[in-house]
Amino acid sequence: MSSIVNIGRRIELVPIDTHFHDITMALYREELDACTVFRIHTYSRKDGVSERIQQVANYMHTLGGMSELPNGKLIFPCGDNHEVACRRVFLEACKIPPNTPTEPCPLNTLDKKSKLTITVDSIGNGVYRVTSNGEGRSAERRVSAIAAGLMKLGEMDVTQETDGDAVCFACGHSHDALIGLLLVRAPNVRVVIREEEASASRGVLSAPSQQL
Amino acid sequence: MQNSDNQAVKQMSGRERVLAALRNETTDRTPVCNPTSVATVELMDLVDAPFPQANREPELMARLAATSYTELGFDTIMPVFTIIQESSALGCKIQWEQKDNWPTVKMREPIWEDVDDISIPNDFLTHPDTQCVLEAIKILKKEYGDEVAVIGKTMGPWSLGYHCFGVEPFLLMSLDDPGKTKLALDRMKEATVQFGIAQIEAGADALTLPDHATGDLVSGEYYKRYLRDLHIEFVERIPIPLILHICGRTVDRMEYIAQTGMAAFHYDSKNEPNESMEIVQQRIALVGNINNPETLFAKEPEDVKAEVVKNLEAGVPLIGPECAIPLQTTIENLQEIPKAVQEWHHSHT
Repeated sequence: MSSIVNIGRRIELVPIDTHFHDITMALYREELDACTVFRIHTYSRKDGVSERIQQVANYMHTLGGMSELPNGKLIFPCGDNHEVACRRVFLEACKIPPNTPTEPCPLNTLDKKSKLTITVDSIGNGVYRVTSNGEGRSAERRVSAIAAGLMKLGEMDVTQETDGDAVCFACGHSHDALIGLLLVRAPNVRVVIREEEASASRGVLSAPSQQL
Repeated sequence: MQNSDNQAVKQMSGRERVLAALRNETTDRTPVCNPTSVATVELMDLVDAPFPQANREPELMARLAATSYTELGFDTIMPVFTIIQESSALGCKIQWEQKDNWPTVKMREPIWEDVDDISIPNDFLTHPDTQCVLEAIKILKKEYGDEVAVIGKTMGPWSLGYHCFGVEPFLLMSLDDPGKTKLALDRMKEATVQFGIAQIEAGADALTLPDHATGDLVSGEYYKRYLRDLHIEFVERIPIPLILHICGRTVDRMEYIAQTGMAAFHYDSKNEPNESMEIVQQRIALVGNINNPETLFAKEPEDVKAEVVKNLEAGVPLIGPECAIPLQTTIENLQEIPKAVQEWHHSHT
């Protein structure tokens, strides 16, 4: 009899968890009572695997501001999907070694490219304004670029009444921890995309003629 | 060949179903066949048989391969996940990689430069990487041999040429010196035959024979010139149903492939099922065609179902992925293949 469980759609995969016996961990999504819930799952049966999953869930709680339901599933407080952002939270949570104290990421970061400090501020209804401690066209361009990075990483929308320096979650709720996490990667989204492409191409068998 | 009146055919085991389809005989339903690999990283965890160990230790190889039947519901089990087992035994250097990637031959460090270098070592069949396959087939035959078809794999000489000479030198030789190339193929083919027959003795019901005269680098005329007669010879010398595997768009050589007497051709999604069936005209069974990198890897079960149905509607006699599936493929997409086949048959009876 099959041991495969039907727990929704798999939306992200970490093929090798270097922090726990190289097991594979996956993030699944399912709809429950008009809400989207997420579940971390592995088919590994190694001793200690439940504890490892709990660690990752705890990191997702801290880094993404997600809540854990009694059945171990995770949900954003708004109950909304935020799938792309959730995948990012999962990937970042899996990178953290076990027993590492974690805190939500701050709402500012040093942009290595411009050497500016970039800050995001919640202005209500799920809207966040991106600012920098610099002035002039170049600072404005970096702010716009980082706002665009947040939109891509968090599937966020641009707000109409701003100059490209504000983004919002479609749910209309604030997600401070989540946007803090996304802000770390937002200044260089190309690296994220390259990582995703490299990850997707691993494990695809090529014919010998394509292995030149 | 699918019976038009399913009621008249008794229910078959997976093994009976696959072998009947390979003989172009009537089946109770279209078999779901895996001529290459359906291993995934999640299945590796499920049975604690990860790459690279599952390519080198027979118990792990058998355990991982069995999930094709026990977990996914395919009618076949295929333990030879890689395309490098015999190249390793021939002396090629192998990059074994990790759990999440395929081992590859280091083709920039070829072991042969000239046709006179070709030599099949005395320990070719007792080398750990060929022996692993033979032992795994024995395990699977004992455990599942009555229920499903156990399929082995022996690489054709064109693929071995790439591995042992390097892709570029081998292709250049085929352009510059056809006589030498034919001689090289003729010498390398003995490895294909030896390993194939050893797998039959170990219990294989059928063999996949990949010979990568792929659509991107090799023309249909090249196939005819260098490989058609060799493949006819394999059919004569390896007494078991053979499933030829060539990646890419191959309609320009399907006519020649259909002339070989091979039981089946494992074909790529770059070929339309209808056009392919029209060419082969039941002289050879087709299997495969479910797209790997886009559909199985990146899309949803509904998309997998659509491709399965497209093949069934075209009369393709065995259904399966087009090639070894990406190791990160979702299990639900793989389970959808047998599910879609069964649903289609229910709706057509």
